[in-house]
Amino acid sequence: MKILDSLLDAFSSLWLSCVLLVLLGLLTWLGTLYQVEHGLFAAQVKYFDSLFLIHQAGPVAIPLPGGTLVMGILFVNLVCGGIVRMRKTKATAGILVTHVGILMLIAAGFVKAYYSEDGHVTLYEGQRSNLFESYHHWEVAITEPLPSGEVRETVAAHEDFFAAGPGQSALLRTKSLPFDVEVTRFYPNCDVFPKGPMVGSDVPVVDGYFLQARPLEKDNETNVAGAYVTLIGRDGARREAILHGQSRAPLNVEYDGRRFGVALRREQWVMPFTVALENFEKEDHPRMMMPKSFSSDVVVVEEGSERKVKISMNEPLRQEGLVLYQASWGPSNARPGDRLFSTLAVVRNPADQYPLYSCIVIAIGLVMHFSMKLSKHIRHEAEKVA
Amino acid sequence: MKILARTLALLLALAALLPFARAAQSDEAAGTHGTLHGPLQRSAPWPAETIELAASLPIQDGGRIKPLSTYASFMLLRLNGKRAVETSTGEKLSPTEWLLDVLFVPGQAESYPIFMVADIQAVEAIGISVADKKKRDRYSAAELRKGRGKLYELAREYERIEEKNRSTVQQQVFSLALNLDVYERLETSFDFARHDLDISGSTGLRKVFGADSIRFSQLVGRVPEVMALQRGLRSDTSAAPELQALNRTLQEASSVSQGTGILALVPSLGSVKAEPEWHAAEDLFMRAFEPEGVDARYVTALARLEDVARSASDMPRFSKAISDLHGTVVPMADARGEYEKIGLEISYYKANLITNSLVVFILGFLLAAGLWLAPRVKALYLGASVAVLVATGMLTAAIVLRCMIRERPPVSTLYETVLFVTATGALIALAMEWINRQRMALSAAAILGVIGLFIANGYETLDKKDTMPQLVAVLDTNFWLATHVTAITIGYSAGMLAALIASVYLVSKVLGVKRADPQYFRNLTRMTYGTLCFGLIFSVVGTILGGIWANESWGRFWGWDPKENGALLICLAQIVVLHARMGGYVRDFGIQMLAAFGGTVVAFSWFGVNLLGVGLHSYGFTSGIHTALWTYYGIQWGLMAVAGAHHIYERARDAAVQEALRSGSREGSAKPS
Repeated sequence: MKILDSLLDAFSSLWLSCVLLVLLGLLTWLGTLYQVEHGLFAAQVKYFDSLFLIHQAGPVAIPLPGGTLVMGILFVNLVCGGIVRMRKTKATAGILVTHVGILMLIAAGFVKAYYSEDGHVTLYEGQRSNLFESYHHWEVAITEPLPSGEVRETVAAHEDFFAAGPGQSALLRTKSLPFDVEVTRFYPNCDVFPKGPMVGSDVPVVDGYFLQARPLEKDNETNVAGAYVTLIGRDGARREAILHGQSRAPLNVEYDGRRFGVALRREQWVMPFTVALENFEKEDHPRMMMPKSFSSDVVVVEEGSERKVKISMNEPLRQEGLVLYQASWGPSNARPGDRLFSTLAVVRNPADQYPLYSCIVIAIGLVMHFSMKLSKHIRHEAEKVA
Repeated sequence: MKILARTLALLLALAALLPFARAAQSDEAAGTHGTLHGPLQRSAPWPAETIELAASLPIQDGGRIKPLSTYASFMLLRLNGKRAVETSTGEKLSPTEWLLDVLFVPGQAESYPIFMVADIQAVEAIGISVADKKKRDRYSAAELRKGRGKLYELAREYERIEEKNRSTVQQQVFSLALNLDVYERLETSFDFARHDLDISGSTGLRKVFGADSIRFSQLVGRVPEVMALQRGLRSDTSAAPELQALNRTLQEASSVSQGTGILALVPSLGSVKAEPEWHAAEDLFMRAFEPEGVDARYVTALARLEDVARSASDMPRFSKAISDLHGTVVPMADARGEYEKIGLEISYYKANLITNSLVVFILGFLLAAGLWLAPRVKALYLGASVAVLVATGMLTAAIVLRCMIRERPPVSTLYETVLFVTATGALIALAMEWINRQRMALSAAAILGVIGLFIANGYETLDKKDTMPQLVAVLDTNFWLATHVTAITIGYSAGMLAALIASVYLVSKVLGVKRADPQYFRNLTRMTYGTLCFGLIFSVVGTILGGIWANESWGRFWGWDPKENGALLICLAQIVVLHARMGGYVRDFGIQMLAAFGGTVVAFSWFGVNLLGVGLHSYGFTSGIHTALWTYYGIQWGLMAVAGAHHIYERARDAAVQEALRSGSREGSAKPS
């Protein structure tokens, strides 16, 4: 019991809060500067989504706790010290409310981190789709055309194979398929090259081709992944192949008289409705090249009913737990009258509105606390004058 | 008789100018640039009421409708680094007068030294003699044109170098070329109006117009007839020379109207929604060839512009022409509801509220400084209070006027954050003064006002752009500008004010001011703490609102974008102070040190992240801020270092004194035994 008490003491100390807040500030600052050279995604992975990291300050390597660790302990510290252990009097009411508000904000973060999906749907005018795809994650998709005309899909998610490399292959196996897929190497960004007589390669060459890894781009969505896979039949027969994110067609294979397509593609989700892009409009300020507004006129099709919606900057479409935003457009070199495409970012986030509620709670808490202090101070000054 | 005398005088004046004209023709520049068509000199200053009318002409520029005076003043600021011209003959010109000269007497304007070059090397690089020039000096268009070819050649070369990799001289050559280019486009923008199209070679055209030469507007008004004529000639093989003459005229009209788009002075006749773009000779000429042709009112407007350009050598006629032009285009703009704010904007710039407020703040600061030397003089306190109140009032009025002109919340650009931070900071300090009457907050308000408005004016001069620009798509939302941006900016304001009070504390400590008055220091800490608490509410709420806005427009609440991180850093810096104080880890001195450091955190978030040039929020990039920012970091951190060293020294000394006292008392007690 005593150990638990002193542990609680340690985690609820104000000293710990101060240290953690300073550390979080330091990480935020370093992570901001890191973006200049390495881009947002790399900075996020290194400084904010990490447990530990080595910060390179010129020739000096400084080990630091990562953002996830610092924020995790800060969360415990907030619960223990800022709520459980705090004196509950009239004077601390405002602080308590504020802390509860911050917990709500953190809860929103957790929900978003573990229960949200985000990607985009890109449509040319006149196109429609009920799928949206990830910016960052890849999946191995195995498709099988059925005699009925439908297509059966089996999908392996990013986290099942992204770590594959020499000595650490990832086996994707499911009973419904007559073969396994073993991912032997995965490259988050790479090109496919034909192996010429003069080109050396330290990676396997399959059917005259090999994958050459490239450094990651600053914008993660421009990276194109590739993988070496081995297809293993139930009889143990092995067949090596290369999958690449920009292949036009899936790899076609046949097992037990059934035909399959195997492909590496960006992770996809199905929306409970279809969006059709009727018209994309980009308006510039008069006689300038500066954009004034972007908007997409879409039709939302759902079980027979159709609804016209305008999605524009700052005015997303909310429908059945999904939110669609005007994110991008193209082609960037389009001339007047050319057919345009619009990219709508799609997010499923159950905690979509939590930050608003927590903002209100925090504001109430802070105003309560500081107005109490201020009125005390004014009374005090008035007494002094009297 | 009178007319004869005037004509004679004019002829004599023109004769006197002939040497200038020849000089202008003979130099290399005139050869590459072409001949200036306007009259070379004006006979007298433009009449005051004519300047006023010209100033209130509406123009579409930077995506919005503004008075010509605003356009002229920012154009001049861009070229000259200030909003006035002093000619080589000592005449002082306002921006509107200068623009009238450039447009209508280009031969005179080209001798004005209005191209500010910060480093003489940039001018040497283009091979101009700089014998009598200072390192930082002004040049006239006529002077620069001696090296025009080299200037544009170098600029084309440097254009290929990314801006951040250009050397200072390269960058200066490059922007000098841009400036000369925009100037040349301005001075030739009325060539179409001054030029007579010679149609004597075409019988058909002569028949249509009944003359041997015509104005540009006449042609524009009758393009359908000209085209019919052209069609007829095309089918007739024997009429080839006639067709050629006609085509030459069209070619000539097209070429004189080219580049006039720099001044869109003709309001569109359609609705604002359907036809947002205003017109210039260039696009009206193109439009004349479309099936529906050009409305007669556009032709009238063009004719009015021609009248102005053609009467520049005759003041009374010129005044009337400007008045007629005003009478034509203003109703057109008014019909679209685009003239309503012009008067307000002219008054705003005329009142010069920002600079006047700065002057009164300086007065307030001087009175407050006097109050420090003579604390008991009530008149000084009253005077300082009134001055700071009036200055804050003027600044607030300026902000309100800007909101009214643009129909926007108070902050939508980086420049406006400076105004708003200064105004709210001064108001917070005044409120504190009202509560505690300690005179310190009053001084703080005065100092903040002086520094803030000094920065605002400096920023405007550095940026050289209209401070009421149109906004990019994502910012075009009054709801979020009013909530998130306002809250964040109030947070900045409180953070900077707290850092200022903390700096006063630290300086006082180091200099040993009020050493015998611990109450003075306790009061300062209370003020710093109070300001931080006030600021924290706005920083936290503003930061979260920013996340909510990001969620509305990009689909994510938080993305570790530099501007978001900056806001988080401000919140963290302020929260640390509160928790460290609560835990008893810092007391007066520690709170003040943290608050002073917080000022640099605010500065990083406010300006620093924009200099990084990454992220979704980098829409306020201004390169010259770099130096100012690092100067501030240097001063603030230097002060902290000195104050820290001083603090350690004082504590060590106090400890030594204590020790000496203690050992002294031990010795004392030892003696009797």
